[in-house]
Amino acid sequence: MAALRFVDAVRQALADEMEADESVILMGEEVGPLGGVFTVTRDLIERFGPDRVMDAPLAEASFTGFALGAATEGMRPVVEIMFSDFVMIAMDQIVNHAAKLRYMTNEQFDVPIVVRLPGGGGSNHGPQHSQSFESWFAHTPGLIVAMPSNPSDGYWMMRHAIQLNDPVIFLENKAMYFGAEQEVADEPPADPWAAAVPREGSDLTIVSAGRMVGRCLSAAESISTRGIDCEVIDLRYLWPMDVDTVFTSVAKTSRLLVVSEAVEFCGWSGEVASRVAKDAFTSLDAPIFRVGALRCPIPVGVALEDEIIPTVERIEQAVVDCMDF
Amino acid sequence: MRWAQDLRRHSVGDLATVEEQLFALMLLIRSVEAAIERTHRAAKITGSFHSSLGQESCAAGVSLALRDDDIVTSNHRGHGHAVGKGVSAEAVIAEMFRRTNGSSGGRGGSMHIHNRSVGFYGETAIVGGGLGWASGAAWTRKRHGSDAIAVAYAGDGAFANGIFAEAIRVADFWEAPCLFVCENNGWAHSMPSDGVFGPAGSITNVVSAMNVRSEFVDGRDAVKVYETGCELVEYVRTGKPAFIEVAVHRVKAHSVNDADYRYRPKNEGAEWLREYDPINSLRASIRVEQQHAIESAVSAVVDEALEAASNGALPETSDALRGIYATRGLGWDGRAEIR
Repeated sequence: MAALRFVDAVRQALADEMEADESVILMGEEVGPLGGVFTVTRDLIERFGPDRVMDAPLAEASFTGFALGAATEGMRPVVEIMFSDFVMIAMDQIVNHAAKLRYMTNEQFDVPIVVRLPGGGGSNHGPQHSQSFESWFAHTPGLIVAMPSNPSDGYWMMRHAIQLNDPVIFLENKAMYFGAEQEVADEPPADPWAAAVPREGSDLTIVSAGRMVGRCLSAAESISTRGIDCEVIDLRYLWPMDVDTVFTSVAKTSRLLVVSEAVEFCGWSGEVASRVAKDAFTSLDAPIFRVGALRCPIPVGVALEDEIIPTVERIEQAVVDCMDF
Repeated sequence: MRWAQDLRRHSVGDLATVEEQLFALMLLIRSVEAAIERTHRAAKITGSFHSSLGQESCAAGVSLALRDDDIVTSNHRGHGHAVGKGVSAEAVIAEMFRRTNGSSGGRGGSMHIHNRSVGFYGETAIVGGGLGWASGAAWTRKRHGSDAIAVAYAGDGAFANGIFAEAIRVADFWEAPCLFVCENNGWAHSMPSDGVFGPAGSITNVVSAMNVRSEFVDGRDAVKVYETGCELVEYVRTGKPAFIEVAVHRVKAHSVNDADYRYRPKNEGAEWLREYDPINSLRASIRVEQQHAIESAVSAVVDEALEAASNGALPETSDALRGIYATRGLGWDGRAEIR
C-alpha cells in the first residue's frame, strides 16, 4: 500500500473507514482542529467535518456513554481516550454497560464501538500517563482487546475493529506512533484473529504483544549471535487469544517466554503460561518464564522507567535463563 | 400505548380524559409492583427488587407525554417506566420469574428490563449509568432526521454522582434531544435526599444554573407532572435537552431485602400513602363506574400476566453462554463456534 509510520497508519485506517461508511464517527478530547495530542486524527475534521469528528468536553464517562448510545442506534463511534490512563473515568460505561449490553438484553442491542487507548510507557509522561491496562480488559467478558505492534496491523486491525459489531478496546502504544515506517500490506490477513510469527526460530518461543514485540525481536536478534534461535509470536489480540499458534510453536521449541508491558502479576502473560502449562505440558523442556512490568507505578524518566518496564536486556536475560535450565 | 390496549381487551372502554389515562396507568404500575412483592414474599422470586410503589405519577405523567417512537432508559427502580413505555406486565413479571417470556429472556432480572421494540431501551443497575446511553441514542435519531426524543430516568441519588453533570453538559453541548428526569423519591437507599441536596427542587436549581431548561414538579399531582412533561417534551423535540425533577415518595423500602425501619419511622411510607396517594387524588375527577371498570381491567391484566409469567419456560441452562458477542465465531472462550 504505502510505507507509513504507526500514527499515519491508524489515521489512514480511520479515514478509509469514514470514507467507506457514514456511520463511522470520531469522538474525544482534542480530536478536532488539534488532531489529537498524538496527531492521530490530524486533518480529519477538515475532511469529514465537525459532525463526524467531534471534539468532546473533558468528560470521559459521559462521552463514552454517549458513544455507546449512538452505537446502539447504528453509529460506529471511535472514541479516543487521550491517554489510556484516563479510561479509568469511563470504566463503568465500558465494563458495566458496553461490554454487557448485548448479553443482558438478550441480544437486543449491539454496541459497535471502538475505544482507542494510547498507552504504555516510553514517552516519559509519568505515573498517570504511562500505564498498560490490557490485562484488565482481557479479563472482562464482552470486550475484544486489540493490541497491534506495527503500522500494517495498526491499519488493518483498526479497520477490522471498526467493522465489528462488538466493543473493541484498541491499545495503541504511544511510543510506537512516530517509529519507523513500514509497508502496509495491500490486503488484510486471511484470518484477522490469528497471531503473527514475525520471527521463526527453533530454540525458544517468545510470545508478546504491542510495543514489546519490537523489543522481543531485538532481543532475539541480539541473542542469535550467541547461537540461540528464538521464535517470536505477536498475539495481536489478547482476546480472543490465538493460543493454537503458541502451542504449535512450543511443540517445536519446547521452551516459552512471555513478555508483556502490562504488570506481570495477574497479567495476561500468566494466561498464556497457564494454557501452555496445561495443554502443552509434555512439549516443555523448561519452566515457563515471564517478563512483565514490575508491580510499581511507572516513574517519569527513561532511567527509572527502564527499571520497571521490560527492556531488551531483561528479555535477553530471561531467554538465557530459560535456555540454561 | 401497549398498556392501554391490554386494558381494552378487558373492556375498559376508551380512556377519554388525561385523568382516566393517568389513573389507569398508575394503577397498573402499582398493581404490577404489588404482584411482584406478593410473589417475592411467597418465595417465587429470588434476588432483589426495588419497588416504585407510590412513585407512579412520575412514570405515568412522563410516559403519557411520549410517543411510541421515543426512547427511554431507566434505573434500578424502573418497572413503572417500563410499563409506561409499553413493556407488557407479562414481560416485566416473567423477567422477575427468570422466564424466557421475560423482557430479557430471563437473564436480566428486576434491574434489567429491556424491550427495544417498544423503545424501552431499558434499565441499568448502575446509578446514573443510562444517562449517556439515552442522549447518544437520541442524538443519533435526530441526526437521521427524526424528531423522536429520549428520556433518561434517574433517581435523586444519581445526582450526587459526577455522571449527572457530565451527561447533561455533553447532551447540551452536542444538542441531544434528551429529557433528563430526576425522580426524587426522598431517599438514596438509607440517605435522606434533603440532607444531601436540600429540599426537593434543589437539584432543579443546580441544573438550571447549567443553562439547561429545568422544571420542578410536585409528583402528588399527576396531572401537573403530565402537563409539565408535555411542555418539556415539546421543547426537547426542537433538538435540545431539558430536565425535570419530580418529587415523589418512596413508599417501600429501598429494596425488598432492605431493613428500612432502621433509618426511618416504621409505616412512614404507608402513612404518606394514606394522606397523599396520587392515585386516590385522581378519583374525584373520574366517574365511579369508570374507576371500577379500570380497576377490574387492571386486575385482570395483572392476573393474566402472573399466570403467563408462571407458565413461561425457564431458559435452557445450555443457553447461559449465548450472545456475549455479535461477531460471528466469537464464543465465550474465544474462537469456539458456539453461536
